[in-house]
Amino acid sequence: MMFKSKLKEAIICFKAGRVTMPFPLGPELHPPGDGFRGKIEVDMEKCIGCGGCANVCPARLIELSDSETTRIIEYFLKRCTYCGRCAEVCPEDAITMTREYQLATNDNNDLYIRNELYMGTCGRCGRCFKPQSALDKMMVTGFRQKTEGK
Amino acid sequence: MGFDTVLMQTWRIREPVMWLCEQITGNRKTYGMNLIGGVRRDITSEQKPKILEVVDRIEKEWLAVIDAIGGDTPLMMRLKGVGVLKHSDAVNYCVTGPTARGSGVAIDSRVDHPYCAYDYLIPEKKVQEGCDNLARTLVRLEETIESIRLVRQGIKELPEGPIMAEIPEEIPPGREGVRVVEAPRGEAIHYVLTGENNRPYRWKVRAPTYMNLESVPVMIQGMELADVPIAIASYDPCFSCTERLEVVDRKSGKIRVYTNEELITLSRKKSGR
Ligand code: SF4
Ligand code: SF4
Repeated sequence: MMFKSKLKEAIICFKAGRVTMPFPLGPELHPPGDGFRGKIEVDMEKCIGCGGCANVCPARLIELSDSETTRIIEYFLKRCTYCGRCAEVCPEDAITMTREYQLATNDNNDLYIRNELYMGTCGRCGRCFKPQSALDKMMVTGFRQKTEGK
Repeated sequence: MGFDTVLMQTWRIREPVMWLCEQITGNRKTYGMNLIGGVRRDITSEQKPKILEVVDRIEKEWLAVIDAIGGDTPLMMRLKGVGVLKHSDAVNYCVTGPTARGSGVAIDSRVDHPYCAYDYLIPEKKVQEGCDNLARTLVRLEETIESIRLVRQGIKELPEGPIMAEIPEEIPPGREGVRVVEAPRGEAIHYVLTGENNRPYRWKVRAPTYMNLESVPVMIQGMELADVPIAIASYDPCFSCTERLEVVDRKSGKIRVYTNEELITLSRKKSGR
């Protein structure tokens, strides 16, 4: 009885063969399924600083802070749940979900994105605001400062 | 239990399910599918045959595993009569899910309080009277086959239609909602109190392990020490939500329990925000 059972177990193992994959994995070597949501990517040229992504992020990892004319949007991606809500609501399609899933790192900065945007300043209260009209938007594009994910 | 062969093989059998989840929802585990009002993605017509194919394969392989381990004497010796949770104890300690059903308590919130589509997809309660590790294992084995049947029926009878309801207005503050759902480990209860700005004010979760964990002292009473881990694993605990931090100073023997605020501050400091 027991010998037969062990034999059956061995057959299951041999039939399966080797299923584990050698280590250097990645989206190219082992692509995830269609519609997979991996690490987010932010196109800083497209972002208008509306803060919509920060508002919906369930992990509350997108932080907005204003200093005079600059709006700083920070993404602390180590807490990301890859839900894709930010990409869904972004009016400018600035956020895309990539297929990157190998994110283990021992450097926090690898999972940090900082986006600094030049914005208009409200003459009354002095806070940043989103220039309303499309014309205004075109005007400020040239002033954008771009910093790579540091 | 020291029987890694079966563990590894069952994980291999499970893997296609994870790939399916990835295709249907976009992720292996944190699906991010449910929103207030519905779900975010539909099951496409191309995915349906794929699901059925995976389910067929799993059923075949799963039955082969059940057939193989059934006669494994050492395995049975470690399961049978070990970790006994008597029917009366199971009732008194209010255990849920497969732990309860393994002790002959026929509860399953999918059947007792149907929600979602469980009015149409009616699962069969799998109950075992053995009250031991083996009974709890058998309940799980049988439920896997039952789940496969439910998936097949669900795919066949899935109606067409919108997957998300429009909610144009903000949800008013001060509303409450409570729901019991049957998770793989037992009843999961969520309580939500809505707050200002369309956000929840309070969210309380009672995961099934809270209830099942209480029964461990009676389950392991008078047992061999080596059998204790198996008995605890047999109800599939998830301890992470029951963790509290207690620091003992070895010199003075003083005990200090960290408060909620301190833990939050420490974790914020650690995660750099
Ligand atoms: S994917 Fe989800 S968790 Fe991650 S940044 Fe976007 S909204 Fe936040
Ligand atoms: S990334 Fe998109 S949603 Fe977020 S602030 Fe920029 S424009 Fe708004």
